[in-house]
This record gives sequence, C-alpha cells and structure tokens, in this order.
Amino acid sequence: MNKNVIVKIREYASILVFGACLMVQSLVQAQEIDMLIKGGHVIDPKNKIDGIMDVAIKDGKIFRVAADIPASSAKKTVDAKGLYVSPGFIDMHVHVFAGTEEQSFTGFGITNGLGSVAPDDFTFRSGVTTVVDAGSSGWRNFNVFKRQTIDNSQTRVLAFISITGYGMLGTVHAQDTTDMNAVPTAFIMNEYPDIIVGIKAHHYRGNDFTPVYRAIAAGKITNKPIIVDFGSSTTKLSIKDLFLKHFRPGDIFTHTFSGSDMSEKNPGGRESIIDQNNKVKPFVFEAQKQGRIFDVGHGGGAFVWSTAINALKQGFYPNTISTDLYRSSRNAGMKDMANVMSKFLVMGMSIQDVILRSTWNPANVIQHTDLGHLSVGAEADVTVFNIKEGKFGYMDARGSVLNGNKKLEAELTLRAGKVAWDLNGISGPQWDDSSK
Amino acid sequence: MRTKKALISEFIRHLYVKIVLGITACLVLILIVATVQAQEIDILLKGGHVIDPKNNINSKMDVAIVADKIFRIAADIPASASKKTIDVSGLYVTPGIIDMHAHVFHGPDVNSISANSHGGLQADAFSFRAGVTTVVDAGSAGWRNFPYFKSQVIDRSQTRILAFLNVVGGGMVTRYDQQDVTDMNPEMNAYMITRLHPNILIGIKSAHYWGDFTSVDKAVESGKLANVPVIVDFGEHSPPNSIESLFMEHFRPGDIFTHTFSEHAISETTGGRESIVDVNTRKVKPFVFAAQKRGIIFDVGHGAGAFNFNQAIPAMRQGFLPNTISTDLYNLSMNAAMKDMSNVMSKFLAMGMGLQDVILRSTWNPAQVIKRPELGHLSVGSEADIAVFNLKKGNFGYMDIRRTKISGTEKLEAELTLRAGRVVWDLNGISAPEWQMPTSTN
Repeated sequence: MNKNVIVKIREYASILVFGACLMVQSLVQAQEIDMLIKGGHVIDPKNKIDGIMDVAIKDGKIFRVAADIPASSAKKTVDAKGLYVSPGFIDMHVHVFAGTEEQSFTGFGITNGLGSVAPDDFTFRSGVTTVVDAGSSGWRNFNVFKRQTIDNSQTRVLAFISITGYGMLGTVHAQDTTDMNAVPTAFIMNEYPDIIVGIKAHHYRGNDFTPVYRAIAAGKITNKPIIVDFGSSTTKLSIKDLFLKHFRPGDIFTHTFSGSDMSEKNPGGRESIIDQNNKVKPFVFEAQKQGRIFDVGHGGGAFVWSTAINALKQGFYPNTISTDLYRSSRNAGMKDMANVMSKFLVMGMSIQDVILRSTWNPANVIQHTDLGHLSVGAEADVTVFNIKEGKFGYMDARGSVLNGNKKLEAELTLRAGKVAWDLNGISGPQWDDSSK
Repeated sequence: MRTKKALISEFIRHLYVKIVLGITACLVLILIVATVQAQEIDILLKGGHVIDPKNNINSKMDVAIVADKIFRIAADIPASASKKTIDVSGLYVTPGIIDMHAHVFHGPDVNSISANSHGGLQADAFSFRAGVTTVVDAGSAGWRNFPYFKSQVIDRSQTRILAFLNVVGGGMVTRYDQQDVTDMNPEMNAYMITRLHPNILIGIKSAHYWGDFTSVDKAVESGKLANVPVIVDFGEHSPPNSIESLFMEHFRPGDIFTHTFSEHAISETTGGRESIVDVNTRKVKPFVFAAQKRGIIFDVGHGAGAFNFNQAIPAMRQGFLPNTISTDLYNLSMNAAMKDMSNVMSKFLAMGMGLQDVILRSTWNPAQVIKRPELGHLSVGSEADIAVFNLKKGNFGYMDIRRTKISGTEKLEAELTLRAGRVVWDLNGISAPEWQMPTSTN
C-alpha cells in the first residue's frame, strides 16, 4: 500500500477520533445541567442582577446564571417567561415548634405546642425555603425542637433561641428571670452554631431591661445578634434606650410596625416608632443608621397600616420582611410570606427592595451569608414567582383594609434543587391523552 | 254639677287622650320592633350567586346569618336589616366545604404514618383558606388512641373535625400494625362509636392491608354494629384483590371506595389497587357502574399517589362521576399535585365537571355519605358554615400524581369562609372596613 495513503488514513482516523471525542464531550455537556429555568426576570440583590437571565442548576447547586444558556444543555427546562426568579425567601420570624406539650396549651403555647405551626405547611407555597424560628425553644428544650421539627422538615429551619430556658411556654414563664441564663444558652448555641442564629428576648412585663441584658450577654459570648419582642412592660420602656443604649449594631427590633403609642389609660406596651403627629421619631433613623435592624414580624397583632404607611412615606424602610407565622396570625391579616411581601409592594416599595428584604438582608442579619443569593455554588434554593395584576385587599392586624393592584404568587419553589412547590405544573409535561 | 255637655266633652277629651296615647304607644312599639328588625341580622352576604344543591338553589340570593345560624335566604334582603353587610357580588356562595378524606391527627411521633405524627397536618392550616369548614379524618386513630386524638386535636381546632375510626385499635402507625388482625375488634370499635363519641365518629376505615378480605370484613362487621359506613383504601394487596368482589360481595350500599382514580402498575408479583378503568381499553369496567347504582360510594381521595388523569378523564368522559370529592390531605400530598381542597375541586372543573356538580360532591353528597344531614347545606336554622368563592379566569395548570398536567381556564379561590357564623378566612378583606389615614392627634 502507498505510504501516502496510509498517512492520509491515519490523518483521517485521528480527525475522526478527535471528532468523536468532541461529540462525546458535547453529549456529556448536553446533560450536565439538571434543571434550567429559562427566560425569567432574575432578581438577585447580592449579585446585583436585575434582568432577564437563565438559571442553571446541577447537583442541587446553582451552576450558572447567564443571559442565554441553551436548553439543549439541560435535562429539564422550565419556561419562566413572564415570571420573576429570585433566591428562595428567608422568613426570619416564625414559630414552628409544633407539638403537644400540655403546659403549652395555656398562654402563648408556642413551645412544643399548638401555638406553633408546621413549617412545610406554609413555606414552599409562598416561596419560602428558609425559616428562622423566633425563640420558641430555650436551651432546656432546643434538642426536642431539633429532633422533632428541624431534623424532620424539608424547609431549612434555623432558630433564635429564647433567653428563657423553657422557651415560650407562656406569659408567666416569660417573667421568670431566674430562668434567663446566658451561659447555658451560649453553650447550646456553640453546640449548634449553624442552626442557632441568635437569642430572643420577649414578652417581659417588668419595668426594666433584664431579659435584654441577659440576651446580649449570651450574644457577646457567641458573637450573635439578639432579637427583641419589646412591649409587655406595664409602664412604657423607652425604645430609644433600647436601640441606642442597649442594642449593639446588628441587634434586631421586631414588630416594627405595631400600633401607635399607648393611651394614658394604658401607659404600658410597645412604644411606637412614630409619634402622635405620624412622624417617625428621629432616633429611629439614627438607630438604623447605626446598624440596628428593624424587622417586620407581622403576626396577629403587630402590623398597623398607619404606622407602616407613614414610616415608608417618610423614607423609613424595614431591614427585613417577615411574617411572625403562628396559630393566631396564619388565618388573619398576615396569611403567609407572599401576602406580607405583597403588602409592601402595594405600599409602594419596589419589587427589588422587597426581594432584598426577604433574601439577602435577612441572610446577613442572621450571619448566614451562604443563603439568600444565587451565586454559583450556592445551594439551589430558588423561588419563581409572578406578580398578579388585579384588585386585591390587604388587612392589617386591626382589621382595616388597604386596596392594591398587585399580588405576589409563588409559582415554583426549589429547595436544594428539588421542586418543592409547583402551583401550575410548569415543571411537568402536558398529560398525554392516550385514551382518545 | 257639671252639665251633660261638659261630661260629653270630658269623655271626648279622655277618649282623645287615650287614642293619642294608644297611637303613640303603637308607634313606639312599631319603632322598637323596627329597630330590633334593623339589627336582627348579624351578617348579610349580599349579591352573591348561591349554589346550595340540597335546596336546589342556583341563583343570585342574599344569605342572612343570626348568631351562628342561617337565618334567611332570599332574593333581596335589605342591608338596613343587618348589622354588617358583606358585598359578595360576582362571587359564589356555597355551604362550607366538607373534605371527607384528610389526615389531621398532628403530633410529634416522626415514625408514625398519620397517628399523632407529622403525617397528619394541623386542620386549621389548610381548611379555611380552601373554603373547607368540616374535615373528616380517614382512620388516623383507632379506638385505643382516639381519645388522645380528640383531646389533643379535635377539641382544640376551629375546623369541625369528624373521623372514621381505623379498624385497627392502634390506628395508622406503621404498615405492620395495619396487618394485625388481632387488633381488629368490631365490638370495641362499635362501643367507641355508639357509646362514647357518636357525634364525632362517623364510620370505620380499613386500609393498607396485604392479605385477603379480613380487614374489610372486620370493618363491615364494626359498621353493622355501629350502623355507620366503612371506607376502604384497597391499595396494598399483593396480589391485588378483586374490586368487583369488594363492591358486590363485601360492601353494603353506602360503603365507600376511596382513591377511585388511582392506577397502579400491577403485575402478577407486585400488588396494589385494581383500577376502575381498564388499563388496556381505557373503558370503565361495567361492574363499576353497577356498583355505583347499587349504592357503593366512590370517593376521590387524591393524595400523593392516588390520582391519575389516565383514570379520571376516561371515566368522566364515559359518564362515571365520583360521588364525593376529597383531598387525602397529609404531609406528602400537601405540596405536590394535590395542594388543597379548592385545587382538587378546580381540577374537576378543568376536566369538564360543572360547578354545581363540583359543589354537590363537596357539600351535600359527603354530608349524606357520612350521615350528617345537618351539614352541607344552607337551610334556615342550620349552622352557618359558608364558603364564598371567586371563580378566577385565566390559564391554570393542574397536575396528577405522576406530575403530568392538564390546562384549565378556571380556578376556585376561597375569598371568605365562615364557621358557625364567624369569619375565619378573608382573603382580600371584603368583610373589613377600608383603612383611613388617621389625623394627627395634635
């Protein structure tokens, strides 16, 4: 045989092998993305993304976010045209220590009781992938909470731990200053540093700052923030003192938009952030500037239109949007996270600002910077939502209604890359009518 | 001495005074009555389209509520007669929805299927927001743990909770417990129902049994003693048992087959539930029609694994409609294709069932099946459990348990739910006043 021919054959063969290699490689690439969310408007405040982008997910992680990722490179493509895509929402104020503790049936009943709800019942259907329990357990029963709820929920459940050892068993227990111990609280926090994000002080009726001091003491040992439900004292305690004297930067005031100042008849309770002329008190702006965190914590009684609307009009925005989901709020004005977020849209907050306060802001506040964004490599907690146009009504905790023309609705929720909620089946194939 | 004339005039004066006084008294009385009438209605649902299948109402009507009862239903009840009027024009008003297959024995036992476990959900978390006012727990508890279910859940829920008692004394704890024929005790079951809790326990559940007809027969025996129906989940027999035999030989009229539209891939070695639609011809098996005619009840019980369009759509096209629509709400179904009762009802709309038929199968039909004729309608005097729905128009998708979807143009959304005359859900605040900016106080 001619040598030249042999050389040619060798050349062709090597080209063929090279080509085959390329083909195999592209075949591998063709399947490398598990799910592609295509054509949606991505809002990822941390990464300053606000536009039409495709989001690729592989092995439960964010694989790529880019303008045009070909559908051929994905095993499954979800058409998100006309929808928004954001990091999974973080609801940083809920009560999810549901259980059957007899003592908890009285009072608030949030610790291992019926006052709490089960997280998965409410999260995914409103776009939430992470909740932070706000002090339903204390150091004495956190392990029960972990075993019973945290370890058995699809939702990522993190927790503020109550400064009261028994958690939130009821209003009587909340007065037991002998059970507010920073050291054991810090011990259990150090045992679960990835789950316990801070300390809660709450429902104290004394006319002093004892629970706040104790919580801060635990916060100093662990270098974690405290969150305070302030407002059960029988004489009014100064929130200015709370914010500027006692709080450290990063500490959190929740129930920010609860009612106006108490009457002369009822001098106690939670001091409002707005004064009698509907003006935000100057020290409130000052406190926020100095790093104090203002959380919504809507709840059954802690969100009043006049406080919120006046504050927003004067440029005071909460740092974090949250529900205070529990038995008494779920079927009332609060409803769920998507409803609370919609309220802020209706008050005029932009969708970008609403998403920031429901994703990256709370992630920072709870020192979980691994959450609340769509950076490559991050766990694929993703929410696809639509903003419905129409006539909607929104109730506050006092039962008055603000009308609006927008409503946020969770279409698709992914938790670690897995479909955890799909309202209209956008991730599923059309039924094949084989019976015809 | 007074003259006759004076006497007459005095008499006339007296008469005049009496008449004036009498008229005044009458007027005052009328006023009082009118005032009382003006306030006699507590809540008036005005201008909605009422669908009340039991009472053959399917038209625009007002619904008046006094205290916790239905007071009046009529075409035009004046708003002046009511303390509170809610404008429900453009919306549908129906009896509170009855979901007759749910699991709500919520508790901390993570190893249990649905007795005192995470498998059972908190009823109030799912009911009112879907228009449901009554749920029937489908056998999560047996006679041994029912008292605990009652004290822990039923007595502490706003939703009306009724229950099928599991034929197994320990309830629905593990797969193995469901096989324990020694714990299937008809006499104890009947005692628990007839002597202790006749107001809550409405039937017997047989489920997840692997063997012959023992579990069903023990349930029917319990049912005969207590005069209640049985409901059967026939899904785990290996090899599958004949549903024809179940319907025609073991069931009494009124007994209930649930998970009607499931389809299991069955071979000679794998078990499961025989389907009502032949998987090869896609025809409803003839004995299924005969069974329904005989009075056997077919319940949807959607769940996480028991609703397949390949069964439901051919069946409905061939004129086979389920008697009752229900969710089989539990932890695995809540976030999957099932979602909630209004979603399951909407799915039937999308498959072509009329709205009246959907409401019938979610109110008056289940009420009759569970022998609670006081529920599921808006008759005067009945407890005011009411759902107000918005029938949304648009493009909606509905999935089955294999996650294939059909498209629909309508979706039921619960706007307002009342339980015993109290507003327990108000999606858009239609029962509440509009917010006004307060004036500053100085």
